[in-house]
Amino acid sequence: MTDKSSDPIALWQKMIGEMEKGFNAFANRTMTSPEFSKTMNQAGGAAAGAQKQLGDFMEKYLVSMNMPSRAQMVGMAERLQSIENAKVGGAQPAASSPSKPPRTKRPPAASDPAKGETA
Amino acid sequence: MSVAASLDLVSIPDRIQLEVQRAIQRSIKGVEYFSTSGPTVGVTPRDLLRGRGTMNLYHYRPQAAEVYRVPVLIVMATTNRGYIFDLVPGQSMIEFLLKRGYDVYMLEWNPPKPEEKSLRMEDYVLDFIPDCVSAIQHDSGEEDISLIGYCFGGVLSLLYGSIFKNGPMKNLVCFTTPIDFHEMKLFTNFADRRYFDVDGLLDSVGNMPPEMILSSFEMLRPASRVAAQVQLWDNIWNDEYVKSYRMFDRWATDALPLAGDYFRAITKDLMWDNKLFNGTMSVGGRKADLADIKVPILHAVAEHDHIVPYESAKHLVQRVGSSDREEVILKGGHVSLIAGANAVRRLWPKLDSWLAGRST
Repeated sequence: MTDKSSDPIALWQKMIGEMEKGFNAFANRTMTSPEFSKTMNQAGGAAAGAQKQLGDFMEKYLVSMNMPSRAQMVGMAERLQSIENAKVGGAQPAASSPSKPPRTKRPPAASDPAKGETA
Repeated sequence: MSVAASLDLVSIPDRIQLEVQRAIQRSIKGVEYFSTSGPTVGVTPRDLLRGRGTMNLYHYRPQAAEVYRVPVLIVMATTNRGYIFDLVPGQSMIEFLLKRGYDVYMLEWNPPKPEEKSLRMEDYVLDFIPDCVSAIQHDSGEEDISLIGYCFGGVLSLLYGSIFKNGPMKNLVCFTTPIDFHEMKLFTNFADRRYFDVDGLLDSVGNMPPEMILSSFEMLRPASRVAAQVQLWDNIWNDEYVKSYRMFDRWATDALPLAGDYFRAITKDLMWDNKLFNGTMSVGGRKADLADIKVPILHAVAEHDHIVPYESAKHLVQRVGSSDREEVILKGGHVSLIAGANAVRRLWPKLDSWLAGRST
């Protein structure tokens, strides 16, 4: 087998790792600036506002078309899921659990807690 | 020494053959990758003990002939799913604890519904956790309980333990738990109070969307997702690598929304005012001072944690009032500390050896 210093595959993998580290470090330096925070939050705020407006518009549109909204569909799906869960199990009541083992286990001798501050 | 001289010329044909085989395997496995789902996770048998809105308390069925007296409650971070502690057999901390004789419960979270946007920090610390503790006491017949909190689950456990200082928490284990939020420098900058209109955002969206949470995590290492995909292609011939990649990738992208008012409190009280670190934190009008925690505490932190840097977590053991306290720094990152091959060798045995003697 070739050694790692001359193995092109290993060199490729190392290069990817180094590029990842370098780009992450560069991006992290950029992202600690107040300007980055300002730009990011302006963009995020605008996107959230636009999303809300679009959502409100769609809600009104669906009501005018006498159609259920996404929230109503999600609500219905959740109700169906809870009915399905109740019918097929998955979440068993605790009473159906198998008998409980005794709570008598002792630790191995070496696991006795070391008293006092160890920090 | 020349490059030619440094090459082992005899091995070159073998290496070419190996790479050709791998290239063929990549094509076959690549098709398989897109036509199959990942491994099934979270299969350790469990029962739902209590479910209420976003809160789910599970009891895992014991797997030992006898168990320690003190049950263990794992408090999962509110941003992610609990199956990171129960990936697949052999890579499951839950399974490990059960086989070592612990009685294990987990508090994990459903995505908060739109109508749960008004859940506050009080609901988590003064209602959900005490409700789960009470249910465990009733189910186990034991008064004492050990808590294990991961990431923000650790913060919730600290808040709970500092307010309910007279019990019934007997031991506290925190995994990668920040208390100095100003040392989470990138998150602090993302949430700069001069530019981040948290009220305006939450008024628009209700609950904090999981996509925004995921984006903020990914922005901490923006090149890593692309690099991970390149590495996946390199290793797609390797079934174990692909299995592990799919499990962790699925979990990492399976972020949960955060209830609106709860996220508002995190932003204002912790990210902006750093109240937990400054000793001015209160929840629902009740003072939450870390110095009031007197129970034995273990804090496990990761050497290469990019989400919770060591600087944001290192003061925890010094700030609590416990005399029996320990911090352990282990190799790994925020997730590999608690799950995966390294955790099997490092964290879990440490957790067992620390907890066993304190669980009788």
